[in-house]
Amino acid sequence: MPVIRVGIERLVRLTGLRGEELEDVLFRLKCETETVEGEIAIEVNPDRPDMFIGEGIARAVKGLLGIEKGWKPPKAEDSGITIRAGRVPSRPFIAGLVVYDAGVDEEFLIELIQFQEKLHEGMGRNRRKIAIGLHDLDKLPSTSITYEASGLETVFKPLGYGEEMSGREILERTEQGLKYGRISLEGNTHPFLYSGGEVIAMPPVINSDITRVEPGTRSLFIDVTGTDLGLVLQVTDLLASTLSERRGAWIGKVAISGVPGVAETPLLKTRKMRLSTRYVSRLIGSELGAEQCIDLLGRARFNAGLAGGDSLIVEVPPFRVDIIGEADLVEDIAMMIGYDRLEPSKERPIMRGELLAETLVSRRLRKLLVGLGFTETMQLILSNPRVADSLGFRNYIEVSNPVQAEYSIVRPSIIVSLLSTLIKGQHSTKPVKIFEIGKVAYLDEGRVKEDLRLGVAYLDDEVSYEDIQAPIYAILRLLGVRYSVEEWSRPPLLSGRASMIVSGEAIIGWMGEVDPGALEALGIEYPVAVAEISVPRLSSSPKT
Amino acid sequence: MDKGPLRLSESEYRVIERAADKGFRRGSISEASKILGIEEQALHSIFRLLESKGLARVIVEEESRIQLTSRGEEALTKGLPEERLVGLLRGRREASIDYVRRELGREAGIAIGLLRREGLVVVERGIVRLVDEDRALERVSRTRLSLEKARRGEAIEAEEASTLKSRGLVREEKIRRYLVEFTMDPRDIKSRAVVEVGKLNSSLLREGRWRNIVLRRYDVKAEPPRVLPARTHFLAEFIELLRDIMRELGFKEVQGPLVELELFNFDVLFQAQDHPAREIHDTLRVKEGLAGDLGKYGDLAERVSRIHERGWRYKWDPRVASRLILRSQTTAVTARFLHTRPDPPVRAFTIDRVFRYDPVGPTRLPEFHQLDGIEGDYDYSFRDLLGILSNIAERLGLQVKFKPAYFPFTEPSVEGYVRFPGGRWVELFGAGIFRPEVTEALGVDYTVGAWGMGVERLALAFYGLSDIRVLYTQDIDFIRSFRVVV
Repeated sequence: MPVIRVGIERLVRLTGLRGEELEDVLFRLKCETETVEGEIAIEVNPDRPDMFIGEGIARAVKGLLGIEKGWKPPKAEDSGITIRAGRVPSRPFIAGLVVYDAGVDEEFLIELIQFQEKLHEGMGRNRRKIAIGLHDLDKLPSTSITYEASGLETVFKPLGYGEEMSGREILERTEQGLKYGRISLEGNTHPFLYSGGEVIAMPPVINSDITRVEPGTRSLFIDVTGTDLGLVLQVTDLLASTLSERRGAWIGKVAISGVPGVAETPLLKTRKMRLSTRYVSRLIGSELGAEQCIDLLGRARFNAGLAGGDSLIVEVPPFRVDIIGEADLVEDIAMMIGYDRLEPSKERPIMRGELLAETLVSRRLRKLLVGLGFTETMQLILSNPRVADSLGFRNYIEVSNPVQAEYSIVRPSIIVSLLSTLIKGQHSTKPVKIFEIGKVAYLDEGRVKEDLRLGVAYLDDEVSYEDIQAPIYAILRLLGVRYSVEEWSRPPLLSGRASMIVSGEAIIGWMGEVDPGALEALGIEYPVAVAEISVPRLSSSPKT
Repeated sequence: MDKGPLRLSESEYRVIERAADKGFRRGSISEASKILGIEEQALHSIFRLLESKGLARVIVEEESRIQLTSRGEEALTKGLPEERLVGLLRGRREASIDYVRRELGREAGIAIGLLRREGLVVVERGIVRLVDEDRALERVSRTRLSLEKARRGEAIEAEEASTLKSRGLVREEKIRRYLVEFTMDPRDIKSRAVVEVGKLNSSLLREGRWRNIVLRRYDVKAEPPRVLPARTHFLAEFIELLRDIMRELGFKEVQGPLVELELFNFDVLFQAQDHPAREIHDTLRVKEGLAGDLGKYGDLAERVSRIHERGWRYKWDPRVASRLILRSQTTAVTARFLHTRPDPPVRAFTIDRVFRYDPVGPTRLPEFHQLDGIEGDYDYSFRDLLGILSNIAERLGLQVKFKPAYFPFTEPSVEGYVRFPGGRWVELFGAGIFRPEVTEALGVDYTVGAWGMGVERLALAFYGLSDIRVLYTQDIDFIRSFRVVV
C-alpha cells in the first residue's frame, strides 16, 4: 500500500491537529500512521489517490471533523497556454493545467514529487497508462506547447543530468530511460513535448532541465499524457482539485487541440449520483434520515441534497476517483459516523454449522494415527522438484515464476513432504513415525487433478513392509473399510515389498518400502516404509 | 549377628535356597556352579551381592602356573640344543667348532655358551671338548625333566623356572581361583530371607508368590528416562480450533481448488486485469501449456466481461481470466460457492492454503492458510458483519477494533484489529460487503458480507512464537515436545 511521508509540522499546520488526536483521525480515514524523525509515514489506501499529499489529507481531515463540508471548485481562469497535440500513436492523449501561486518551497517540493510518483505507480500503472510532467510556469519558453512523436536524435538537456543528450542516449544511459524507455517507444520515435521550439519533456520518461521546478518556483504548469483519455482527464482534474487546496493557489485552464472531444483542461468535472437513504440504512444496518445522510456526505466532502422521496442527489467532486456506485458512498457515510460508533449487531438467525465430510474423516484419522504412535507433521504444498524427481514422481505441476527453486512445484503426493521432513527428521528419536494429511495436485493426461491425502512414514534402524502394513490395516479395519491389497510397485517403492490398496472398484492407496536408491539420493541413512491413502476415496469406499 | 529378616533379590534367594537343599557351604565357584546348577558367571555376581550383604565371602586365590611355550614344545620333540651338543660330543669327547655349527645350525652358539658357562665344555683353538660327560648328561636330563613337568602342568623349581623363562621355553601364567563361602548356614539364611522384587510381574501374581515378596523401594525423585508422546501438529490443532469456532457460529465448511482460474481468484472479485496484484511478482502462475477452461462458466464470464468493461473501461480478455494460478486468496473458494447460488440465509467458510510471490523468511512464506467466511441474506448489513467479526474475536479471547479499509471487491470495507491480552494491536481481518459488481457477476441477488484472515500470524501470536518457519518445522522432536496450550 502507498506510504506517504509528510513533515509533522507541515501536517499539524494543515490540519490543526497533532499527536494521538491526529493519528486517531487518520485511522478513521483508513490510514495507518507511524512517526519517524520529524516525519509522519501514512499508509494510505490505494483507492484514495487524493490523499497522496498533505493538502489532500488535510481536506479529508477537516471534513471528518466538520470544519469544512462539501466541495467548491477552485477559482479557475484561462491561462493563455495552448497545447497542440500531433499524432502520437503510442501515447495519444494529453491534457494540461496551471497551478498559480503554488509557492513551492523545499518541503512542498518533496511532497509534490512524491504525489507525482505515487500517481505514476498506482493509477499510472508505472507510467504506462498515465504520466505527469511538472514544470515551472515562468520558465516555459512559450505559451504555445506542442506534443508530438519525434525521432530519437532529438537533443535536449534532461532533468538532473547537466548535459545535452539525444533521445537515444537518454533511453540507453539514464536510469529513467532504462526503466520507462520502452513504454511509448515506437520504432525510432518517441513522444516529446515542445515549448517555443524547445523540448520541455520526453513523456513518460523524463523532463527537460529548462523548466525545472525548484524551491522558489511560484506557479506550476503540469502536463498529463497517457493511453486512456478518460484517465488522463481524471488525473488532470485530480491534480487541479487537490493542488488548488494549497493556500492561495488557483487554477489556470489550458486550451487543447488535437485531442478528440477536449477543448480545454482541467474540466473540474463533478458527477451526480442518486442515493437512496433506505439503501444506506439497510446496508449499514442503522436507520439514517435524509438530513443525517446529507450532513455525513458533506463531511466526506460530497455536495448532497434532497431529490424527493427517500432519494438524495450527491455531487461527487473530481478528486474522488474511487466512487463507482452507491455502495462507495455508503462506505463514506459509515466512515463519517465512525466504525467505532457502529454497534456490531449479533442478531442473525441461528443456523446449524457443518464441517466437510473430509474434515471429519481427517480428524478420525489423526486420532487413530496418534494412537498408533505416529506424530503429525506439516509441510508446504510448494515442494522441491529434486525430492519429487528422486522419488520418481513425474506428473507434478510446475510454477512458472517460482521465488525459490526449492518451492517450485506443487507436491503430487504427500510422500514428497514426508520424505523431505525425514531428510532432517531422520535424526529425531527412533523410531520416527510420522504422518501428514493435506492436499496434493498432479497432472493426469494434461488435466489438473487435486486430492486430499493421508501419508504415513515409518523410519527406524530396521524397517520392513509389515511395519507400515500393520498400522494401515488397523486403520482400514477400524473404519470398517472393505479392502484388499495387490502386490504392486511404482517408484519410489521396492518391487516385491509394496502393494496397492483396493476397495470396491477403486485404488484407494498404496504402501511399501522405499527404494534404497531413492533414500540414498535424498541423503536418508535409515530405511523407510510409507503409505498414502486418498481421504475422499477412503470415506466413500464400501464399508463392512 | 542380628536375627532380623534378610532382604534378598529373587536370584539371591534362589542360590540360598539351593545351597540349603544341597548342603553347600563352601567351595570353588566351579564346584558351586555344578552343585547349585547355576552358570558360573551369574553365580559369581550373585555371590558378590551376597557378600555386600555380609552373607557370603568370595575368596580370590591367585596362583601361577608354568606352561610350555611353542619353543619349549619344539625343544622337547627335537631335543634341547645343549642335549644335542652333548649327544654330538659323547663318545669322541671333542669336535671342531665348524663341525658343531654344521650339525646344530643356529642353535650351536646357544648350546656351547650354556655348557661352557657351567664348565661342562671348554673351547680351545677351534675345538669344543666335553669336560665331564656324566655331569653334562645329568644337567641336560634335569632340564628335560623340568620341561616335561611343565608340559604336564606340574610345578617346577623356581630357579630352574626363571632360567627356562628367560630362554623362552616356558612362560608363567597367573590363574585366579574363586572360592565362595557362606558366612552362615544357608538354611538359617533361607529361614530369615524376605524376597525383594524390583517389579511385580505376572508369574508372581499367577503363582501367588507375591505374598512372599517385598517390592523394592524406589528413589522416587530420581530422573526417569525422557519419553515423548506421538502428537498432532500444533498448527493443525489451531486450524481445527478455528473450524470448531466457525461451526459453532453456524457456518458450513466449503472447499475449492488450489490451482485456480484467474476468473475466480480475480475477475469475479472485480479486480481489473491490469491490477498490480495480478502481476507475476505477486501471483504464482502454473507453467505455460496448462490453460484453464472457461467453457463451464460461459454465463459468468459474460457477466464479468460486461461489469469490468463498464466499471474499469477496458477490453476484458477471457484469455487472462482462463490462466491457471495457485490461488492467492481463499475468497476464490467462497466466490465459487456463491456461484452455486445457494438460497439465503447463507453462512459458509473455508480454511485452506493460499500462495504468494514471497520468499521463505521469518515473517513470510510463499504459502499460508487463510480462513475466509461469507454471510449472505436480503437484509444483511455492515453491522451484522462487524457482529460476526466480534463474535469470532471473542471466541478467540481477543479484543477487536475496526478501521475503514480498501479491498477491490468489498464496499464498505473494514479491517479488524485484535489485541492479545497485554499485546499490541495486530491486523487480523480484512472484510467488507461484497460490491454489487461482485454479487451481480456471481448471480446472487442478496447482500453478502465477506472476510478473510491469515491463520499463521494468529497461530504465532496464540502460541507465543515469532518465526513463522517454526510452524513448518522438520524437527519431529520439536513437534513431539511442543508445549501444550490449553
